[in-house]
Amino acid sequence: MIAIDKLCYYSKLRYVNACEKFLYALFTLFFCVFSKSMAAAVLVLAVNGILTVVKGGIPLSRYRHFMAVPLAFLLLSTFTIIINISRVPLDAYAIPIGSYYITSSRASLLFGLRLILTALASVSCLYFLSLNTPMTDILAVLKKFRCPELLIELMMLIYRFIFVLMNLAAVMSTAQNCRLGNKDFRTSCKSFGSMASTLFIRSMKKSNALYDAMESRCYDGKIHVLIENYPPRKKEVFLIILYETLLCLITIGRYIL
Amino acid sequence: MTKRKKQTLVLTSIFALIFGMVPNVNAMHIMEGYLPGSFCIAWGVICVPFLAAGFFSIRKTLNENRKALIILAMCGAFIFVISSLKIPSVTGSCSHMTGTGMGAILFDPAAVSILGIIVLIFQAILLAHGGLTSLGANTFSMAIAGPLVSFGLFKLCQKSHINKRVSVFIAAAAGDLLTYCVTSFQLAMAYPSEQGGVFASMIKFLGVFAPTQLPLAVIEGILTVIIIIGLESFAKPELKAIGYIKET
Repeated sequence: MIAIDKLCYYSKLRYVNACEKFLYALFTLFFCVFSKSMAAAVLVLAVNGILTVVKGGIPLSRYRHFMAVPLAFLLLSTFTIIINISRVPLDAYAIPIGSYYITSSRASLLFGLRLILTALASVSCLYFLSLNTPMTDILAVLKKFRCPELLIELMMLIYRFIFVLMNLAAVMSTAQNCRLGNKDFRTSCKSFGSMASTLFIRSMKKSNALYDAMESRCYDGKIHVLIENYPPRKKEVFLIILYETLLCLITIGRYIL
Repeated sequence: MTKRKKQTLVLTSIFALIFGMVPNVNAMHIMEGYLPGSFCIAWGVICVPFLAAGFFSIRKTLNENRKALIILAMCGAFIFVISSLKIPSVTGSCSHMTGTGMGAILFDPAAVSILGIIVLIFQAILLAHGGLTSLGANTFSMAIAGPLVSFGLFKLCQKSHINKRVSVFIAAAAGDLLTYCVTSFQLAMAYPSEQGGVFASMIKFLGVFAPTQLPLAVIEGILTVIIIIGLESFAKPELKAIGYIKET
């Protein structure tokens, strides 16, 4: 149903210590955003791509497809940044329209390119985390970092319910499609509305049933789950520290220069 | 082909590419890594008081009624699923609802901030809509500003005895529009225009996203009305359980 969630269970890096992967992704993301350097962005993009595709075993075509998900936002906003309308032409290009120019400066073109690279590199960090770490492992890491118990429990339940509801929604929309429920705009609006309201009613019923089931199994406000633990490997930790130090140096270098 | 014709062809195809390549029009999630670091932190800090208020409100409800946790979780999952489903669209691109307006109308707005941030985290990790660094900015526009305005408008409309369907429509569409305006503002603050500064930049961002976001707001309004009508006719007891209909 959700491709990313399905793929992360097949990843070869799934059984690597989750804490390791989480910290790696976060620190890389941090340096990527703060360093504002093209070199760092390209490095991060390459390393994450190799880790996810070669080490993790996620198919390349899938990975490319995923990287294209935020493309619409990226292109639209970057075009907005590099296109200016003004009375004075700037140095990169200038297309006259009446007494105004559609124009931009060289610096801002470069800035736009850097922005695209940084954003793609950051997205690759996010994908490294989500394509190699199942959600339950991420929640276990959050628990280790003292995230409030209430939030963790809420997230765990929501994660479970998402799939229950998505299955329900898929079944309902198949039924609607079979009965020409989406033949034009009007009917599809009506079908969507009735599907969503039925979904809500069903979800409420399910939550009541679930509460009864949990209550009868001695639920006292806490859900206990066993967590599988995979100890971190020294070599991996060493490589991660080395890599992050390199990124850190690039960041510091950018700020000094 | 003359040179002029070739130029026109190239220009039109670039134009078509830019506007045709909108495979996934979702509510405006700022993508991962797009905001500069300082802005990520600033927006995150702005969200903290709202989130704390939401957290304490949820904890209070839970102390009174343990069952509320499951209902809340179901509501969170409901918002996520609604926002991940394809909705009927006029332009043919595949678009999604935000669900924030509906969340604010149905549930307690304080709780929506917490549910909203959780839904945003899941959207970032499972669907790659939005991201972890832009979580603060997205939370502010989608889980705080949008729902608060929706909720305020809905209550205001009810006070002034406007038809319920109209008020639901206004609240949901306005919540969506505000989300779009706030996101444009956030982008403009981070990337002011070379000529004209933040204001000019905001106009540009509003203009660029308008073709996708304006129809989306109207559709979201219509769908929310249909959903609420459906709920009110079939789900009175459930609506009482989440506090939408006050017990009499």
